[in-house]
Amino acid sequence: MTDRFTIGSLHDSASSYRLPVGDGSAIIILAIFIIVVVSIPKFDLAGALAFAAIPLLLFTAAPVQLAPILKRLVIVSPFIAFMAAGNLFLDRATALTIASVSITGGMISATVIVLKTLLTLSTLLWLMAVMPFHRFGTALRSLGVPEVFVTQLLLVYRYSFLLAEEAGMMQKARDLRSFDGHGKGPVVTAKLIGSLLIRTTARAERIYMAMNARGFRTALAEQRPALALKANDLAAVAIAGTLFGLIRYLF
Amino acid sequence: MHMSDALLSPVVGGTFWAVSAGMIGWSARKTAADSDGSKTVLMGVLGAFVFAAQMINFTIPGTGSSGHIGGGLLLAVLLGPWRAFITLASVLVIQALFFADGGLLALGCNIFNMAFIPAFIAWPFIYRPIAGSGDSPVRLATASIAAATLGLLAGAFSVVLQTTMSGISDLPFNTFMLFMLPIHAAIGITEGVLTWGVLAFIRSTEPGLLQTTSEIRAPKTGFVTASLFVAALAIGGTLSWFASSNPDGLEWSIAKVTGKEELASPDEHAHELLAGLQEQAAILPDYDFRHTDNQATSPNSPVNVGTSFSGIAGSLMVLLLSGAAGLLFRNRRNNSEAATQS
Repeated sequence: MTDRFTIGSLHDSASSYRLPVGDGSAIIILAIFIIVVVSIPKFDLAGALAFAAIPLLLFTAAPVQLAPILKRLVIVSPFIAFMAAGNLFLDRATALTIASVSITGGMISATVIVLKTLLTLSTLLWLMAVMPFHRFGTALRSLGVPEVFVTQLLLVYRYSFLLAEEAGMMQKARDLRSFDGHGKGPVVTAKLIGSLLIRTTARAERIYMAMNARGFRTALAEQRPALALKANDLAAVAIAGTLFGLIRYLF
Repeated sequence: MHMSDALLSPVVGGTFWAVSAGMIGWSARKTAADSDGSKTVLMGVLGAFVFAAQMINFTIPGTGSSGHIGGGLLLAVLLGPWRAFITLASVLVIQALFFADGGLLALGCNIFNMAFIPAFIAWPFIYRPIAGSGDSPVRLATASIAAATLGLLAGAFSVVLQTTMSGISDLPFNTFMLFMLPIHAAIGITEGVLTWGVLAFIRSTEPGLLQTTSEIRAPKTGFVTASLFVAALAIGGTLSWFASSNPDGLEWSIAKVTGKEELASPDEHAHELLAGLQEQAAILPDYDFRHTDNQATSPNSPVNVGTSFSGIAGSLMVLLLSGAAGLLFRNRRNNSEAATQS
């Protein structure tokens, strides 16, 4: 498995970037964008291409690092490539002929699948690159997501990097003691994961005691209250929705 | 096994989003009722543990390839269904947001396939009845392997159904099933063996960790059946609504008023004149190129060659404009920031 924690943090480049719209409305706009892109018919290459204008605008306007985003897109591509290849091989009927070169329906629908993937995922990763996760949590609260789930997300995010480091050290220690692949099978690995689990629960107890001492009861909401969506946030959503609808209609 | 945005139709994606969001809301209510802050922290840290555990690879005997634990069933055993569902859903959200696994619209499908199924089907109906108190190593092994394998197979079956219902992929249902099920059966057995190994290790070293879930009541069969029934009803209802052969509201209204489903173009001199002017002035008249011999289209083709070309040309123009607008926006922002600092 590729070590996903070593491919660079999305937040390195633009963590303090201030969006021209509120965080809650940015999430809604992203959701509308994704739904509109996904609704593009399977042979509509021009329609999918037109929507590339949105990520292009975002990536040129905000200074985010491209390398971590591109690496993530490459890592997730095998399944999409397989599904696109399925269309390529199964739909061989000639859709159009240009200068005696036959272009099949599968070629077009496969390209649309890949394009849609790049559009939706790159936009999502862009938003995560410019919006620190604590702001994302506050935005989710303003959108009415249950506090239990928001607290859960913030805690998972906070501790995933910490535990990943610990798991990396355990794996390195095992690999250093392994010769000719011995000790890397499922039996030893299960014990290693079990040890990590025991360490994790012990860590959870320490964290709870420390948080409890600082006033934590069952949720993190007291520290970061939700901000309700304002009229200009709703206006931004309406404008963006109209723009996406217009692009979808025109192309 | 993450479902992807690009393979989903908005109807299927949206419906599973609604079902999964409803389940998160319900599970959040169930866990909020138990106001134990230590469990809140435990859930958060165990969610992070899943990421960490996935980093530890092992060699699959006889194949030379490597794999890692998924962790869905393990969390269900450690936390019980409601808390495991919330924890797994949060892991899937983080995976979608930061590692681009699946995408935002596909999140609903992924939460259903990889959180609902292990927490509300595999654990209560397969693992728990077989494992019992967990004292018997044979029963623990059988329960782990059976629950992990059947849970993963159910998830894979769900992916095939969601893809087929969306109609974006050309892979036929049977072919896709033949491809997905054997692979996921093998992954499921491996996951089961690893889960059993971890649980056996925990039982021998920290048995207290496993005692908490033995007191948790399993979700009632009626609740799970009702959830699945609601999902099926929502999907079936929404799909049939979209696939309706009856005229839509606008067509119905027009038909009522005019007796026809579509309005005829106005046959007026001014309209003809304007249309003629538009034809003369437009770069891409009628959003189409005139067909030439070099650009033939199959009679059954779903692709209109002219519309495609002019559409692509138009799209490229929009791309250029948006790139330029983005650069202008960035320069303006940099200038205003520099002015503020000075």
